Parts: sequence; structure tokens; C-alpha cells
Amino acid sequence: MVGREVSESCVDSMIIEMVSSYCDRFCSAKPELAARRIEAIGYQVGLQLSERYTMERPRFSDHLEAIKFICKDFWSELFKKQIDNLKTNHRGTFVLQDNRFRWLTRMSIDPSETNANTSDDPSVATTESKSAQSASMHLYFPCGIIRGALTNLGIPCAVSADMSNLPACSFVVRIKA
Amino acid sequence: MIVCIAVVGHQNNPLYLQSFTEADDALKLHHIVHCSLDVIDERVNNPKKTGPTLNETFLGLLYPTENYKVYGYLTNTKVKFILVTTDLDVRDADVRNFFRRFHSAYVDAVSNPFHVPGKKITSRTFAERVSTIVKSFGLSTAV
Amino acid sequence: MDPTSSNLGKMLLEEITPVVMILRTPLVEESCRKNGLSFIQMIQPFSNFNNIDVPVRTASDQPYRLHQFKLRLHYASDICQPNVEAAEEHLKEVVTRASDNDLTDLNSDPPQLESLLRSAESESQSSRFQIFNKELIRASSFSEHEAFDHPVACLLVVSSKDDRPVNKFVDFFNTNQFPSLLNNGAMDPKILKYYLLIHDNQDGTSENATNVVSEMRGTFGASDCRMLCINSAENGSKDWQDNPWSACNSDALLGQDLGCFLNMDDLDEIKDLMQELSSKHIIPHMEQKVRVLNQQVSATRKGFRNQIKNLWWRKGKEDTPDAPTGTMYTFSSIESQIRVLGDYAFMLRDYELALSNYRLLSTDYKLDKAWKRYAGVQEMMALTYFMLDQSRKDAEYCMENSFSTYLKLGSSGQRNATRCGLWWTEMLKARDQYKEAASVYFRISNEEPSLHAAVMLEQASYCYLLSKPPMLRKYGFHLVLSGNRYYISDQRKHAIRAYRSALSVYKGNAWRYINDHVHYHIGKWYAVLGIHETAIKHMMLVLACGHQSIATQELFFRDFLQIVQKLGKTFEVFRLQLPVISMPSLKVIFEDHRTYASSAAVDVKESLWKSLEEDLVPSIPIMRTNWLESQPKKKYKDSNICVAGEAIKVDLEFKNPLKISLSVSGVSLICQLSEKTDSVDSEVGDQHATDVDGHLSTSVLQNDLELKKLKSSWELNSCNSSIVLSEVDFTLGGCEKTKVHLAVTPQLEGVLNIVGVRWKLSGSTVGYHNFDAILEKKRVKGKRRTRKSPSSNLKFTVIKSLPKLEGSIINMPERAYAGELRLVVLELRNQSKYPVKNLKMKISHPRFLYPGSFEDIEAKFPSCLEKQIDCKLKGLHASSIQLSSNLLFSFPEDVTIQGGTTFSWPLWLRAASPGSIPLYISIYYEMENVSSDMRYRTLRIHYNIEVLPSLDVSVQINPSPSRLSEFLVRMDIVNKTGSESFQLKQLSFVGCEWEISSLPPNGTACTSQLLIAGQALSSFFKLKKCDKSTCEPTTSSLSTLVGSDVSFGPEAGVLFDISRTPLADFHRYERLHQEKAEEGDPSNIDFILIAQPQESIGGSSAPARLFCHHACHCSIASQIPISWRMDGPQALHHDFSSSFCEIGLCMTIHNSSDYVVSVRIHTPGPQSSTGQLSDATGIAQSPRLAGNQEGWYDVSLVNDIKVTSDVMGTLSGKPASLDSTAPYIWSASSSTKIEVGPMSSTKVPLQVSLFSPGTYNLSNYNLHWSLLLPSNKDGLDRDQVRQTSGTIQGHSYYLTVLQSP
Repeated sequence: MVGREVSESCVDSMIIEMVSSYCDRFCSAKPELAARRIEAIGYQVGLQLSERYTMERPRFSDHLEAIKFICKDFWSELFKKQIDNLKTNHRGTFVLQDNRFRWLTRMSIDPSETNANTSDDPSVATTESKSAQSASMHLYFPCGIIRGALTNLGIPCAVSADMSNLPACSFVVRIKA
Repeated sequence: MIVCIAVVGHQNNPLYLQSFTEADDALKLHHIVHCSLDVIDERVNNPKKTGPTLNETFLGLLYPTENYKVYGYLTNTKVKFILVTTDLDVRDADVRNFFRRFHSAYVDAVSNPFHVPGKKITSRTFAERVSTIVKSFGLSTAV
Repeated sequence: MDPTSSNLGKMLLEEITPVVMILRTPLVEESCRKNGLSFIQMIQPFSNFNNIDVPVRTASDQPYRLHQFKLRLHYASDICQPNVEAAEEHLKEVVTRASDNDLTDLNSDPPQLESLLRSAESESQSSRFQIFNKELIRASSFSEHEAFDHPVACLLVVSSKDDRPVNKFVDFFNTNQFPSLLNNGAMDPKILKYYLLIHDNQDGTSENATNVVSEMRGTFGASDCRMLCINSAENGSKDWQDNPWSACNSDALLGQDLGCFLNMDDLDEIKDLMQELSSKHIIPHMEQKVRVLNQQVSATRKGFRNQIKNLWWRKGKEDTPDAPTGTMYTFSSIESQIRVLGDYAFMLRDYELALSNYRLLSTDYKLDKAWKRYAGVQEMMALTYFMLDQSRKDAEYCMENSFSTYLKLGSSGQRNATRCGLWWTEMLKARDQYKEAASVYFRISNEEPSLHAAVMLEQASYCYLLSKPPMLRKYGFHLVLSGNRYYISDQRKHAIRAYRSALSVYKGNAWRYINDHVHYHIGKWYAVLGIHETAIKHMMLVLACGHQSIATQELFFRDFLQIVQKLGKTFEVFRLQLPVISMPSLKVIFEDHRTYASSAAVDVKESLWKSLEEDLVPSIPIMRTNWLESQPKKKYKDSNICVAGEAIKVDLEFKNPLKISLSVSGVSLICQLSEKTDSVDSEVGDQHATDVDGHLSTSVLQNDLELKKLKSSWELNSCNSSIVLSEVDFTLGGCEKTKVHLAVTPQLEGVLNIVGVRWKLSGSTVGYHNFDAILEKKRVKGKRRTRKSPSSNLKFTVIKSLPKLEGSIINMPERAYAGELRLVVLELRNQSKYPVKNLKMKISHPRFLYPGSFEDIEAKFPSCLEKQIDCKLKGLHASSIQLSSNLLFSFPEDVTIQGGTTFSWPLWLRAASPGSIPLYISIYYEMENVSSDMRYRTLRIHYNIEVLPSLDVSVQINPSPSRLSEFLVRMDIVNKTGSESFQLKQLSFVGCEWEISSLPPNGTACTSQLLIAGQALSSFFKLKKCDKSTCEPTTSSLSTLVGSDVSFGPEAGVLFDISRTPLADFHRYERLHQEKAEEGDPSNIDFILIAQPQESIGGSSAPARLFCHHACHCSIASQIPISWRMDGPQALHHDFSSSFCEIGLCMTIHNSSDYVVSVRIHTPGPQSSTGQLSDATGIAQSPRLAGNQEGWYDVSLVNDIKVTSDVMGTLSGKPASLDSTAPYIWSASSSTKIEVGPMSSTKVPLQVSLFSPGTYNLSNYNLHWSLLLPSNKDGLDRDQVRQTSGTIQGHSYYLTVLQSP
């Protein structure tokens, strides 16, 4: 993988394009379906990336190790930075906070609107303002990636995202018992 | 020489099994691979018996059958690689090296968007790549 | 845990016990036989004691007590190594016996995994294995290298009937009755003896016997003699309950009850005889011997000195070459003594003592390389370790050691190796080291003959099952291995059992190879056993094995067929996997009121037909009601309609999963037809239909039940004649798939139900498949609308037979050239006997296909289109037709097609535009007899015609430079065909307010009227406005096309009448079509080019073909609103010597637009340059090329810009240059500006001055014009394409001035 490079702007615009085309074109009727589609794509990506990035490393003995891997190596492979803050309630819920999530840096939302977005789960935040919702749409993809990676590492889980103050963003991982 | 190389999914379902012998011993090899899964499970479940370092992907020699040696490798994603060889003296380094290269081949194969996760690997490129890796087995430790 | 309570402990306590050798006279046996027992059998039950209490002292005088004890009784004759063959036979017989009693459960289903896990414990302990292992161990008894089989005591038995019994006792010694082992010195002959006199009470009283006993006491010593009275019971009246011999093995002759002559006293006597023997004699004797030996040993071997001596002594012995089995030790040798000591100690449970001696001994043997003995000792050491329950490691080490040592010995040690191994495994099991035990079993199996190996492997597999966590895969693998071995040593039932339990492991997961292997072999073996049904059940599972190699597939398939043959009757399978039916491919084609002319017509989307037919047929609900009302409502709701006597076609795809070819025969549908007539079978059928429906609705169905249903309805089909089923045979090559067309033709009215399909695989196996399971997924073609219950798709209401038209279009070409015009004939056949009436026809592309009039059939083509002198117009129906994308044509009222007749109607086909064009025709007709359920039907015809590009016509119209209200028409014709070359016939101009004439006016339009393939040609025409008087209003001119024609070339005599149908009609549609492309322009005019292919000119053999190309909406409204004319002298004389010559010219400017145009005439000043004839090249073109090019010529559809432009490129020269200085001067104002009102013209005077004679082209002026548009923009919006201003290069005007003489 060394030496292989890809233009960030390309990736950004591709993701944006993907999100918009799913939201507006393919299934504009029902946004939750669009969300599921995007999440599924992310899942696939995460599946494959985790295969790749876990080469050459010993197996993880427990969940925490795997999560740490996601926070450190996996994240820096994807975003050239690590997760800034990891919290857990030791009962299978982890909160990964990225203070400057790359895919949101190009995005700005009227703060008055985003205050409304208290719900940490975009999928249920359907009542919030349009822009915030569309922004949250962009978070299904990384959510999917995380879920795919963890699932492939043998940790079935549900991932949701929260973007109360851009461009900071926190992902909530709930490991299915 | 390497008799057989197999990829087994995390539900112990065969994803890829290629034998490199002329003889029609597919059945036997299947049995051998299938049994070695037991050993892998055992190795993984009680780690005191696992290889040199804890949780290393390379599981080392699983068990010597009457005329084969079976080596195992377990990826982080619970995918098992199983190598059956007839060589009597195999250098551990060679096997490690082999598995490393095989792993990268596998990763590329599953990164193929047309590959359905958890289904058999049908990519021809993968097959060719594997056969080259197998041919070069033991010749040099360089990657 | 207590080792003695473990399995191994029990075994040891049974097996390693003192042996009592028995010598007896025949009479003894005889008297015992009365009870059906041998002597040993008689006393056996009393020879193991669980509740004795014998005080014993160890060698070091520790007292302890024996509570359990056992004696092994053997006849002297048996004390020898059992010979191998006998042992083999015995073992085999044991195994076979085991297999016989579990044949019963072979017919049951294979065990499930969890049940196996539950029963694993009991299974692994099952008596089968116990007995077998015991026998296997027994097989290696009485070897000379170990002492625990050596007889400890000898029981001499003589019957009181023997004459002089005392001497008999003596004879035992004299006559050599001792086994060889005692004599050849391997065992110690001087053993404890005990003398027993048997008295049979049936031989009278026992005084005599007592005397003998007293005599014996005299000779042999008081304590060692005893008398035993038996058979004291009269006539078999037993006074005791539980039979001690019931456990005794059954090889004694049954029927007669054992021990019938023994009464209670006898039993008691025997009991305390054995008691005494063991506790008063044997145990003390052994104890004594242990003590003695121990002293000996310690004297010779214990202590440092002895060790050294011993060691040195052995060293001395080294160099003597020793036998492979090691040196021969006699019983007297110190080693044997130690061994005996050890074994006795072991038997007396003094394990420490035993162990110490064994240790001592093993070193000696090792030094002596007496490997067998060494191994034996090691074995015992391991056992003692186990019994002491200490240091497992040592125990295992010893076992390993002894096992491998035995193996090293080869055949001589093999038996012992096995025994050792068995003990080892028992030891491991006792310590829950099941995995290790299994591997030991495996090692044993490698050494043993296949039968033993099989049993060993099976035990190994159970060990894997018992190991924590259970290693299922190894369990399965070893079962498979043992199954193989069983089969090799033809124990089929065992083999099957092994495989069956292995199945549970492989079931369900993806390991197809293994699965197939197991199932296949189980099937084969069942077949060998003659249990064919089960065999086939298993075989079925491996049949569809696409992943296997061809050879394997053939093998599987062949064996399957063989078994089926063995089965005798044809085997019937529900959902047979060979070949695979792909249910999504199921397609039902049926004709209710819609009938199809061809399968192509069926494939057309229903919606398309609907849209085509919407104003053709009465709307569906009406139709439905009027056939529904005649029926009871409930029967037909949501079921399709079909007509009796008309076939329902079902297309189904069969796929061969194998690489070998399959032969499938007799494929046919299974249907149920329940008639409406109240006959008995109708009830049956009805109730069939209903409960099938019930079945389908609740889609839970057991296969066999379903199979039964299918079979019954199949038999119903075959017997009754009311259904006609088609049968198909075909052969599928490897991995092929084929679409099979099946048909069912109901003959009677009623309710028809297509239930499934049935086929025969290679003549022997019948496969059934029902259709209901997949109906949700599949699309049924011709379905009237999507139904609620899917089953109804295959449920039909059969109504009584109706007339049905079949139609086709005769001589319909697959491909044609664009513009080709031909006459085709629609042919309708009515097979039934009823006539049909008022036919209507709907055509999807009237631009391509147009109904002719009836008399066109016999008309000769194309001559029928030629202009007659009297051209009477026949546009009667044409005028009635409103122009639409598709055309509704109703045949004349009087047209009815009688039954059995054929009716044909002409159609005009014109390939309008290139491409592949689908033509849809739907023909509506009604029945004569309205009584029938359906009043009308439609016939749907579908053709696909491929149209190749041929001539490409583009027209340009420019105002003529010379005359006003006159236009130059330039037509570019490109022949785009590959090979065809065309004969241009005529160009017709449509409409009457203009008149077309060829240019130059002498008739022929262009040089050659022949256009070779790939050539381009452009010809010029003049378009002249003719006076309004002769012209009719445009509306009528649309309906009947009067127009002017120009023929190419002189010899093209006849002209075609474009005002006739079909040309007129086609033209109308062309107009319509091309109008769609561009917005209409009032002043548009159309051209029709008629051509004929080259070959059709001379050769009348080929049907004459006619091409007509329509160029419509050619706008004359040019982009330039103005046109002008120069008027003035053409040639004159002038005397230049006197003065220069001034000539006045007059320019008339006409404004053809409806706006005011301001024109500025700009004439260059004196600096302008010479214009000689040199720029004559520019003549013809300069007007057209001047100004700006784009949007100059009108873009009609048939015209594509590239071609025309390069046509022009060939003709165009460079424009006349403005800046070339002319030898003349415009001598009026250099620019005059005037305004011209709409549709008016003005005159502008001009003057030019010349200075020398010559011919001048006065073209170097230009006009700048601009529209003065009104303020409101809508005028501009209407015609966007126009430009609002421009500059035009002046026309060339030639003036010749001669020097006047």
C-alpha cells in the first residue's frame, strides 16, 4: 500500500456525489432507504479495508484492542490522523470522537440549526433541519466503514454518528452482545 | 512441495481450495484441511498452546499426518489459511513468508468489488497469483 | 479419583489375577455336563470374591486386607499362547455378532449431532468395544515374557467313579499333562497343588468317596485334599433363585437350563471350596512366595555392592551375541524371579513392592537388550503407576516406551503392542485425556489388520467426540476412516453405521466433496445390503454434483441408475435434481380473447398491445361482465380464460448441472380438468382442484404428500381423454440448458389446473415438480393483470370452443432499403366452422405499413401507380382517417370470413426511415354466434423489419438571383447503400401554388439519372410561383396531392401519380412525422423523389421495386428577407477615345419578409480594384456563398449536414474578392440607404463609369440590410431562426462594352 496516493478532493467530491445521488436521485422518496444504501456501501468498504490493514499484525485478543486499532492505525490510514478521544462505558459502548473529521471540514451548517440536532443517531433525526440532515447523510458512509471493519474483525455492532458541532464528529459504537 | 492450499471462512466454510498434485486426492486433502480446522480452533481457544508469540497470525505446524505437514494461519478477520506440504524439513521462515504473500494475494482478491464476502473466491487472477507463490515456495525468503 | 474404580482399574483387577490351572479326568467333565456346564463353567461364578476379608502382610510386614479377589481358571490344555488365526476368527465373529443386532436402526434416519454428543459417553463405553478390547487383550495372553499369566496353583480333579482315583492323581504328573510352557522352563512347574475329588450323588452314596478322600489325605497331605459332591438335586428341582450361570456365556447348549441338578448344598459347597482355595491356600502361598523372593532379591541385588556386581556382570554378558528376542531366561533366572515377584505383588495389590521390582528389572533387561521383556516390564510399571495414581508423566512415559518397544520388535511384539496400547488408552481416558487416547488408538490402528483398525478408529473417533471441547471434524474423519476399514474387512453394517454417524458432522456445511463421498458410499453399501430405498435416498443427494470431476459424475450417475434398476419399479422422485428446472423461466402462453399470430407476438409487452388496442376493443370490464354473467360467479374469479380445443403453451427451462449428458424423455405437464357436467369424476377433480388450492395457499407441504398428489393427478390425466398433453424428449449435453415447449389442450369446458411437470430421466427415474412454490416470483406472460393469489395463474376457466383467426403477412421482407415501397398481403385464416365478422385492424406504424384497397391485390405493381389519363381521386377513406401515430382501419362492412376460408387484404409497405422497426398489427373480429362466452377476439401480429439506408435526399431552396419570386432548388442525393445503384425516376413537387421545372429547362434534370452505390449527386430545379387562379385552397391540396412532376432523363417516360394511394397517404404521414421534428412554417413545400433500383429496369423477373423519398417542409422562406435584380444594358458600344462611359443601372429590391427592411447599398470607391473574367470561378456560387453561411439552407430530417456540406465543397470556389480593384467606378453616391416596406419592392438607380472596353462583372458591391422590428418581441419570437440583419455580396452582372468604331 505504500506509495499509493489518491487525491483528497477526488475522494471528497466522490463521497459528496455518492451521497447526493442516493439522496436526490435513486431513493429521494425515502431518505432512510438512502441512508441504508450508503451505510451498506460503507460497510463493504470497511470490510475490505479491515482485511487489508490488519495484515501483518497479531490478532486482537479483546474488543478494546480492536477498537483501539480502529482509532489509531485504521483511522490514520483513512484520514492521516488518529481519533482524538475514545470513551467507553465498559459495557460494550464506545464513543470515538474526531475533533476535525476530514469529510466534514468542507461542510458548514448554520449553527442555529445544528443546535436542534440533539439526537445522536442520524437515522432517527428526520425532523431536523434540511441542511443538518443532509450533512448527517454524509456520516452514514463512515459509520458503515466502522461497522464493516469491526464486523469483519468478529465484533458485530451498531454504529451511529453525532455531529453536534462541526467539523467535530463522534461515532458511537454499540457492540451487540 | 506444496500439496494443497486452502482458505476457510470464519464460519469454517471453504472459500478456496486448490491442490497442486496430479493425483486425484481432492477428497483426502479436503479431509485433511477439514480436520485441521479442529486443531486451529483448539489452538485459538486455549492460547497457552499457540505459536511463539501470543495471537500471532501464523499458527505454525498444526499437525503432522502420516505423510503431510499441515501449517495454519489465522487472520484477524477469522479467515484461515491452511497449507499442506509434503516437505519433511520446512523452514519456519519460508512458511511465514509464504503465508504473508498469500495473505496479500487474498486481501487483493476480496477487495475485488465483484467478490461477494463469504462466498467462494472465483477470481482467476487470484488463482494464478497463488500458483506463482506456491511455485516460489521455499526458493527464497525474500518477499 | 480412585484408580480401581476407573475402567482400567476394573480391567486390571479382572485380567491380572492369579491363574489356576485345572487338570481333570474325563469322568469329571461328564458328571458336570449333566448340568450343561463344563467343570470350569461350574465353578467359575464362585471364583471371584467381592466380600472376602483376607489379612495379608507385605514383604515389609505391613498388614493389610484383601477384600476383592479373583481367580482365573484355565484347563491345562488352554495354558498356551492362542494361535493367531483362531484369535482372528474369534474376533471377527465377535464383531459380526455386534453388527447383527444394530441392523434394525439402519433403516432409521441418521443420528443428529446433539444426540451423538449426548450419547457419546455410553457409545464409547458400549459393550461392543468392551468385549472386543477384552478379546483382543486375551489374544496376547500366556506369553512367556511376563509372569502374571503363569499359573499360581494347580487344581487336580478326579471323579469318584474313576477306578483308583489316587493313582489318577499321580498319573497327572507322570503322564505329561502339563502345558509346554511349564515344561520348557518358561514357567515354574513346582506350583501349589490342590487335590479335589468330585462325587456325583446320582451315582449312589458317598461312603466310597469318603474313603478315597481319607486315602488322598494320607498321600497328599491333609490340608490340600477335598471332596466335592454335586448333582444332589433330584429330577432337576432347583431350590435356589438367581442363576449364577445366567451371566455365563451362551455357547453352552441352550434349552436345557444350566445347573439343573445342583441344589443349594452343592452351590454352598462349591462356594466355600473356592473360598478355602483362594483364602487358605492361594493367597497365603503367594504371600509366602513374595516374601521369599523378596529376600532373595534383596540379598542378591539390593545394596550398592550388588548393583556394581550386577552391572559389571551384565557388561561381561554384553559381548555374547544375543538372540533378537534377547537372551532366554528360564524361570529360575534371577530376572524371571524378580518378574514373578513383581507380578505377585501386583496381584496382591502391593504396588510399591511391585513397582520397585519392575524398576530394578527394567534396567537389567535394558542392559541385556531383552526388548520384549523390557517392554513388558515397562508396561507393568505404567500400570502400577496408574494403580498407585502417582506421577502420570512416568506412567505415560513408560507406556510410550513399552508401546514403541513392542512395535520395534515387529510381528512378535505386535499383539502385546496392541494390548499395551489399549491399556494406555484406557489409562488416558481415565484421566480425561481423550485427545491423547484417540491418537493412541490411531497408532494402534496403523499396526493392526483392517478389522481391528476399524474398531480402533471408531473408538478414536468417540474419544474426539468426548474431548473438551469436542473435536467434531476429527470425529467425522476417523469415523470415515474406520468406515472404510470396516468395508474392506466386509463388515458393511458397521461401515454404514460409522458413515451415518459421520454424516451429522458434514451435514449442511459447504464441504461438498466429503459430503458427496460419504453419501455416495452409504448409498452403495445400502444397495449391497439390498435396502434400496434408503440407498437411493442417499444417492439422490450426490446426484447434482456439478463441482465433481466428470469421471466422478459418471460414476455417481451410473451407480444411481443401477440401484434404481435393482429397485425393479420405476423410481419416482419429487423435485428430482436432474435436470434442474429453473422456475423463474416458467412462462405460460394462453389465448383468451387475445390470440397471437406468432411467438414473436407473444413476447411483446402486454402494455404495448393494450395501448395499441385501446380504441379497437370494447373496454375490458364490459367484456368480462358479459362472459361472467353466463357463469356462476365464484368459479371464475381471478382465474384465466382459455378456450376448449386451443392449446395452452408452457415454456420451461431445463438445465443440466452435470458435465455428462442426460437423456430426458416424456416431459409433460400435469393438469387437472374438472368438468362442469355433473359426473362422478368431476366431483373428484373438483375436490382435487380445491384441495390443491388449499395446499397452495398454505404453502407448507410434505414432499411425499405432494408427490402422491402429483402422481394421482398424473394418472388421472393419462386415463381421461379430456386433456391432450404434449410429450417432449430431449438430450441435454454437459452443462447445457434448453427451453422446452409444453402444451396442454383441454377438450371440454371446465376448470383446468396446471399442477406440475413430470419427466423421465434416462428411462428409469421419473421426476415430478410442482409449480406452486415459485409462482410468487415468476411473471406469467399474457396475464390479464396481476392477481392476488398466485396459484390462479395456472388455473384456467375453459370455455367452449370459439372461432379463431390465424394471420400472417405474405412476402413480408426481413430487410428493406429506406424508401422502398412494396405491396404485401395480409392473410387471415379461419380454421373453425363459425364465421367471424366486422373486422377492424390497428397498425402501429402507418408510416411504414398502410392498408390498401381491395382491388390493389390484383393490381400490377408498380405500374398501377403510373399516371392514368383520368386521375380520379380515391381518398375516400383516407380523408376520413385522422392522422395519428397509429392507424385504425376498419375493413368494409360486408367482409366476413367464413369457417375454413382464407381471407387476404393488401397492405402497402414502405420502409420510411432506416433502423430496425417493430411493426405491430392487431386485428379485431367478432363471432357470428353471440351466445358464446366471448363476443370478440383480437389477433396480434408482430413483425420486425430492418431498414437499411438507401438514398439520402436533401433539398436547398434559394431565391433565384436573376428573377424575383423564383427559386433555385438544389437537391443533393447521396446513395448510401453498399451495392445497390438506383435509377432516379422523377421528382414530384407537392402542392399547386408552385410549379417545378428542371434546370436548365430542356427537360432532363441532371446529367445521368443513374446513381451508383456510394455516389452523390446534386441536381438543380427551378421553382416558380404559378398564378393563383388554377390553385385550390391548401386544405384540399393536402388530401389529394396535385402537384407538378419532373422526370429525370428523357427516356423515363411514365410518371408516377403521387396523388394516388398509397403514395399520397405515405406522404401525409411523412409530413406528419417530419413536422414533429421541426416547427411548421406556413410557406413550406414538399418534394417526393421516386427512384427504382438499377436491376429492376431490364429484368422484369424480379418483382419491380419502387423507392419514394419524401422531403417535406422545405422552407422557401429564406433567411435573407430581400432579393434584388439589376436591370440595365448587357452590351453596348462606346467610343472611349472621346470620353469614359457612364451607364445607368436600376436595382429593384424586393422585401419578402413581413417587416420593414432598411437596405444600404454600398458601392466601393475609386480605390477598388480590377475585376476581370479571371474571377469567373466565383460566378455561379458567389450569391449563395456570400453573406454568412450558417442557417442558410434549411435543415430537413433526411438531410444531414456533413454530406451536403462536402457535396458543396466539391462545387464551391473562392468567393469573389471585394478588395480587388475594378477598372470601373460606381459613380453614384458610394452608399445609398433606403427602406423597403413589407412584401413590397422599390427601385434604386445606380450609375457606373467605365474607362476601357471589356467585359465587366459588376458584382463588387454589397447590400447591408436590417429588419426594423416592431417594439413587441413576439414577432421575433415566432421565427427565431431568422437573423435580423446581414450583408450580402452583390450578384454578378455582366456588362460588355465594345470600342465603337
